[in-house]
Order: sequence, then C-alpha cells, then structure tokens
Amino acid sequence: MTVTAMIIEKGDHVATCLSKVKKGDKVKLMINGKTGKTIKANSAIPYIHKICISSISKGEHCMKYGLSIGIATKNIEVGDYIHVHNIESARGRGDLEV
Amino acid sequence: MKSKISTNKRLRKTWWGYPRENGDVGSRNYLLILSGTLYANPTCERVARTLRHSIAITHPLGRCQIAPDLERTFETLVGHGQNANAGAVIVIDHHREEGCTSDEIAHEIAKTGKRVEAINIRESGGAIESTAKATRIGMEMLRDLSTELRQEVPLSKLLLGLNCGTSDTTSGLSHNKATGWVTDNVIKAGGRALLAETTEMMGGEGVLADKCVKPQHGKRIWNMVQEMEDRILACGVDLRGSQPTGDNMEGGLTTIEEKSLGAIQKAGNAPIVDVIPWAKRASKKSGLHVMDTPGHGGESITGIAAGGSQVLIFSTGGGHTINHPLMNTIRITGNPLSAKLQRDTTDVEVTDIFEGTPIEVAGRRVYDEVIDVASGKMTKAEILHEDNAFAINRCGPSV
Repeated sequence: MTVTAMIIEKGDHVATCLSKVKKGDKVKLMINGKTGKTIKANSAIPYIHKICISSISKGEHCMKYGLSIGIATKNIEVGDYIHVHNIESARGRGDLEV
Repeated sequence: MKSKISTNKRLRKTWWGYPRENGDVGSRNYLLILSGTLYANPTCERVARTLRHSIAITHPLGRCQIAPDLERTFETLVGHGQNANAGAVIVIDHHREEGCTSDEIAHEIAKTGKRVEAINIRESGGAIESTAKATRIGMEMLRDLSTELRQEVPLSKLLLGLNCGTSDTTSGLSHNKATGWVTDNVIKAGGRALLAETTEMMGGEGVLADKCVKPQHGKRIWNMVQEMEDRILACGVDLRGSQPTGDNMEGGLTTIEEKSLGAIQKAGNAPIVDVIPWAKRASKKSGLHVMDTPGHGGESITGIAAGGSQVLIFSTGGGHTINHPLMNTIRITGNPLSAKLQRDTTDVEVTDIFEGTPIEVAGRRVYDEVIDVASGKMTKAEILHEDNAFAINRCGPSV
C-alpha cells in the first residue's frame, strides 16, 4: 500500500504519515502540496505519527518546522518510526537535574 | 445549508455586537451572575437557573488564599465582569473576605459603565432571601438588556482569543495554520488577537520573540518561558507525560518542543505588540498580544476571557468539549478522525487541508465563523450548556 506523509520544512528529518503505515509500505513524501520521492517504512507507524526521512545520529537534534524537536537517543535510519522510543525532549527535564 | 449571516463574498471587516459605554463591544448580552467565593456558588446557580439569558460563573476560590493568589482571583473575577459579553452583572458573596468582596469586585466592574449590583448573602438574610433579592434585581436588568440592539462595528472592536488543546501532529499542519491565517486577517483589518499558553512556547520562544515589535517584549517572552521551565525543573520530574500529555503522545507528538512549534502556528505572521501577565486587560493596540498563562486549557482561556476577549478559536487535534461560559468558544479541528468522533462539539472542520485544500481556503471558513459567532451565531457548546472552562490559575497554597 502507498501512504502519504507531509514534510513541513525542507531539511526536516521527519514527515507526518497521514494514515496508518504497515511495515514495508511505500510512503510518498509531500511538501507544500507537491509530491516528492517515495521511501519504504521499516516498521509499522500509527495514524499521524512520524517517519524518518533523513538519517539522524545518536545525540543529534531532530528537526521539524526547521527547528529542533528533541535529541536522538539512538541512530535513526530513513524509514524508521520516530517517537518517544528514539527522541527525547531537551526541555523541562527535572529528572535529569544533578 | 448556506449560513444566513455570511452572504458576502468579500472578507467581512465588520461584525454586529452590543456597544458598551466604555467603547467595548460584546458578542453576547448576558446577565452575569458572578460568585465572589465558593460559598456563594449555589446561590448564583439558583439565580441563573431562574433567569433566562443569565449565566453563572462559579469557582472554588476567593477565601484563605495568600495575597498574590487572592489578587489573581480578584482580577480574574473583575476581568469577567468587565468583559463586554456581560451586559450587566450581579456579584454575590457569602460573608466578608478582605480584598475580594462583592462590593470591591462590583466597584471595579462599575468603572465600565455597565450596571452592576453586589449582594451579600449574610446581610440579605440568608441563602433564600439573597436568591430572591438577586432574582428580582436580575429580572429588571434583563428587561433592560432585552431592549438593546446589535450594531455594526469594525473589527478593531474584536479581541480574538487563540488557544489550542489536545494537540496532535495534525495541529501544526492544519487547524493551527488555519487559525494563524485568521489571526493575520483579523489584524490586517485593524483587530486584535491574544495568544497564550506559555508552556507551549517552550522550544518556539525564539520564533515568537522575533515577531515582537519592541525588543523588551521579546525579552519578556524569553523570561516568562524560562520562569515556567524553572518551576517545572524545581519539581524534580520529567515534564513528559504532563507536557506533552498522554493524548498528545498518542497523537504522535514526541516532545514539548514539537508541541510548541505546532501551537505557535496560531500566531500567524502578525507582529506582537504587547506581552501581558495572566488575566490582565489587553491594551487597544491593533496586532497580536501575548498573555502569560499555563498550558492548562481551562486556566488559559479563563485568563484570555479576563483579558477582554469576546470570541476564542479553540483549535484541537483530538477534539474537545472545552467551552468558556462567557467568551464564545469556537472549536475547530483538522484531524478527520476527531472531526467524526467529536462532531457534537466541533464547530468548524478544516480536515480537507489534508486533501490539498489551501490554508487560505480553510482559514476563510474559520474567519467567517468568527464573524458569524461574534454577530450572534451560537456555538455548539453554547447550545449544549457545555460551560466547563472557568478555572482560576493559582500561584500558592491554600492557607
């Protein structure tokens, strides 16, 4: 099946999947109403969750809206599901205080 | 069926409201029965149940609060009494609370020129006597209010509130974008908009600070977000789970930064002309105003209503039942699933953005709804009495 995913800013690491994605599904990327390349999903992705469209190394900022939405806790490849299991917030982290 | 009010093809620059003596204009002409303290709540509710076109605002505060907190309660109650959607006000309190009595609240509200009466339960001879007294006064007030007619006024008389809630990844892509388009066009027509939710500026504060006309306002945005983050850090816990909430994460939002960057889309491209504290009255300057409120929806929109907003766009990913009792709350969503599941409280859908409808087309639909609701069209929640969102923000303990 082919699913559409929306990119917000050129250079973002993520796109939002507009429907539920199954492992192996083709994900067609869209930016500003224009369709671009298609990538393959490496795992299932729930409705309106994010897919990685350009790889991120552990410790690197994950970009969306052209700005950081958090830090990668592991290496993330194109087609991977992106959420709380591999990105963490850099803000309001009272649990990390010394 | 086509709306009876919106017949113009061009973007409307006027709306129909109730002009007040102080120059403000209401989108409603309610008699407000305002409770000064929690022990007056049942009396207020009895009176409002009896009187058609009256609404009660009740709350659990007004007593045994430390000074800055009591002041916050006082200002919030005064702000609601002063809000132009209240045509007349009856304030009811129980006994005496220094700094927050019905007399003191009524005194501030009277400065707007609208009719206001203060009723003390004890001095009136108890719960039943005060109910009778307030009901009789209210009946006469409503007779007068019912003779007032709406007049055509410019958009400069509108303070459009902006808030989002139960956000998900569709928020920053659809309904907040459409809201931003409305913000820009209301301001272009000489109006004002009020953005809030300090927690949801975390990660996007630089974007907002850059929109400020005056550098000191930009600095204030950085500072208020920092103060909010310091309060969170002082709790010694991870913010995740509280912000983003469980339903935000279920909706695909991973971090507060991501939620914030979606939330601030409501600001559009308009210049920020002022930054104000919780529940303070917004100035008359055309442009975008920012209020320091928590992300808690009920508290945030209560601050916005106290700031003088008559109509609010509440944009939601998951769908929402939120509604302020006095300020018209228009719920919009771009999430197709939520539009279906929460259809009873969704006023405008912008789900077609995901089918390629341009933001300006969807935004226009929301803009028209704002003008219509400001001019008298009822929201779904208003019809359903879904008056759940009056919540006073606190900064200290009960004492």
